[in-house]
Amino acid sequence: MIMATEFKKTSQSANKSPLVALVGNPNTGKSTLFNRLTGLRQHIANYPGVTVEKKSGLLRIGHQDLDLLDLPGCYNLTAVSRDERVVMDVLGGRHGLRRPDLLVFVVDASNLKRNLLLASQCAELGIPAIMALNQCDAAKRNGIHIDTALLAKQFGIPVVETVATRGRGVDDLKSAISNALANPSFLPRIQWPECIAKGCQVLQSGVKDLGGEGVTQAEALRVLFDSDSVFTCGISDKICLKKMVDAAHHDIRGLGLSPGSAEAVLHYRHLESLLDGVVTTSGPVARSHESIDAILLHRVWGTLIFFVVMYVVFQSLYSWAGPLMDLIDALTGMAQGFISPLLENTPVLQSLICGGIISGVGGVLVFLPQILILFFFISLLEDTGYMARAAFLVDKLFSWCGLNGRSFVPLLSSYACAIPGVMAARTLSDPKARLTTILMAPFMSCSARLPVYILLIGTFIEPRYGAFAAGWALFAMHFIGLALALPLAWLLNTFFLKIKPQPFILEMPDYRVPTLRNIFHRMWERGREFVLRAGTVILAFSIIIWCLLYFPRNPDVAEKIRSDFSASTGTGISNENLEHRIESAYIEQSYLGRFGKAVQPVFEPAGFDWKITVGVLSSFPAREVIIATMGIIYNLGADVDEGSEDLRTILQNEKWTSGPRIGQPVYTLPVVIGIMVFFALCMQCGATVAIIARELDWRWATFSFFGMTTLAWISAVVIFQIGNLF
Amino acid sequence: MNGTLDRLQVGESAEIIDISSDCTRAGRMATLGFITGRRVTVTRLAPLGDPISVEIDGQEISLRRAEARLIAVKQA
Repeated sequence: MIMATEFKKTSQSANKSPLVALVGNPNTGKSTLFNRLTGLRQHIANYPGVTVEKKSGLLRIGHQDLDLLDLPGCYNLTAVSRDERVVMDVLGGRHGLRRPDLLVFVVDASNLKRNLLLASQCAELGIPAIMALNQCDAAKRNGIHIDTALLAKQFGIPVVETVATRGRGVDDLKSAISNALANPSFLPRIQWPECIAKGCQVLQSGVKDLGGEGVTQAEALRVLFDSDSVFTCGISDKICLKKMVDAAHHDIRGLGLSPGSAEAVLHYRHLESLLDGVVTTSGPVARSHESIDAILLHRVWGTLIFFVVMYVVFQSLYSWAGPLMDLIDALTGMAQGFISPLLENTPVLQSLICGGIISGVGGVLVFLPQILILFFFISLLEDTGYMARAAFLVDKLFSWCGLNGRSFVPLLSSYACAIPGVMAARTLSDPKARLTTILMAPFMSCSARLPVYILLIGTFIEPRYGAFAAGWALFAMHFIGLALALPLAWLLNTFFLKIKPQPFILEMPDYRVPTLRNIFHRMWERGREFVLRAGTVILAFSIIIWCLLYFPRNPDVAEKIRSDFSASTGTGISNENLEHRIESAYIEQSYLGRFGKAVQPVFEPAGFDWKITVGVLSSFPAREVIIATMGIIYNLGADVDEGSEDLRTILQNEKWTSGPRIGQPVYTLPVVIGIMVFFALCMQCGATVAIIARELDWRWATFSFFGMTTLAWISAVVIFQIGNLF
Repeated sequence: MNGTLDRLQVGESAEIIDISSDCTRAGRMATLGFITGRRVTVTRLAPLGDPISVEIDGQEISLRRAEARLIAVKQA
């Protein structure tokens, strides 16, 4: 009893279980190992103030519970952006983040020296460490033999051989973690040349004199070697620091080193002496990927294979997800049909639950098939090692405007739907390219815009100008977003974004056989993430829009239509038609309808009447509802689709009933093109706004929303005004 | 013969003699193995001629011509 309380006192002094962090380069299988260690007991959030994902989980060893943190993969501690600074902030325990009690370095056995550079940098932090030597099987196959015992002896920390994809060595690693927490061991620190050690001391005392918080030696090293990075900016008065840094750089040059590469060079020297005799290669190292690369990166065949692979990805999103999405729609309809009669007596509740909540939930779930399918392919492409090759092949297409080769998959998938596209931008490690890719994704013409194009092209362009022109119009509508997005990305990157671009240096990983376990884990993780985080916001949007379209709902409106109807009985208006008219009258007097009428003058220069304006406004939460809204406004009910002949006839015959153009048709060619371009460029998708807010933050989501809406409005106005000159 | 890395043809190799870039970028390149004195071999070009792929210290790395231009090399 006494022992138990004592144990509690000592080990849980901070009232928290120990924090263990996984640290390593990208492509080391770190996340796979994390999944193996925590199973599904994971929690994903963002680090405060940045857009980096914080993955933590519960690691249970025997009866002990530990917090496991999967730090973002990185090659070194240098941070140009705030996103990259997260690793250093966690390791230094800054900004209220918890400093880990143990670091597990996950290193790729095939490339030991480069992987250990990060570990060597982290040694400065004085946090106990162990090493997981991962992908040992691949290294052995490539003829690389590692003397694990000698490695452990030289680095003074336990080393565990693991093959995370197969789960090998995971139990050994667990016991090593638990032992290391009881008996900590530390990585050997590099012996800095005197001038660097002195430079650090000067910086440390300099920062203290300036009244700052004080920095550790590890942090002083960051200031010294990354003098132009964000870490420096946050610490203290830059000008004073610059003098000290310049003095230290002068001394470093005196050693015959350049300040930029000195740190890496010295760490590599340090590592080379420690690794002496640890790694032996039998014969020339077999490079398993060379023969595959000869085909996959071939100018002709490689390009061809790339397009075939991307076609399959796109086709699966565009077509194969369709039946699943239809199923979700059908289930939503069934749920509405089932619940609706039960609430007949309370029409407000009936409409709220069926029109607001159930359709909102359905509107969230309907995105899941595409998200899951896309992340199936992304995991597959990443795990096999093809993604880096794909980025290499097409980088040139995007580099000029500040994006990179990794932007291809997110932008392509956005042609099916921007939601999975924005989420796919996670695969971009460069924060600036990722931000730009996310902002450009909603410009790609997603499948929800298609009904609008088909309705308008089928009604106005095809009958007058033929099928050939109709085909081109449809193609043009799909191209216009991309054609505007890339120059916009260039403008944004050149003039507005203050983030430094990163060199696009890609490691070509070895080809690997993916495991289904990993792929499904990724799909599950992303799907859950979307439903829990973005889904709730989308549902809230759906309910708000329902309110705006439903209220105030004065019963007098329906009464008036009914009395007009009975006064004119016998003029051939059916009961069904009466209901449609009441619905239409209600939408006209709803808050959104009134708002539409009030802001119609804003859309006047684009030639939109109040009906088009209300249609456009009501499709802001989700653009596909435009057809149903048009159906309601034109007294046809909400059940019309883009092929409806009734709707097409009404649109063709619609005339202005007031104003200067009275008696003229509303839908002239410039108006029709203007509406389509407006839909192509406008951010009429609450779900996209929500997901951008989730992936970046609300400021960027707001910027994107207003930016795209303004651009869409300007384009529609320009088209109408120019079109009217002829 | 001295030049920059982006001037090498596929299959040619050379020794790195200098990296002229700002501190952080040079540090990043050095971390990935671009260090004075090491040998680098151009293995292939992307279909559009940029980026290029090189072998350095037993690993294959791709980089853009704009970055390769910052790396001064000496051909034997």
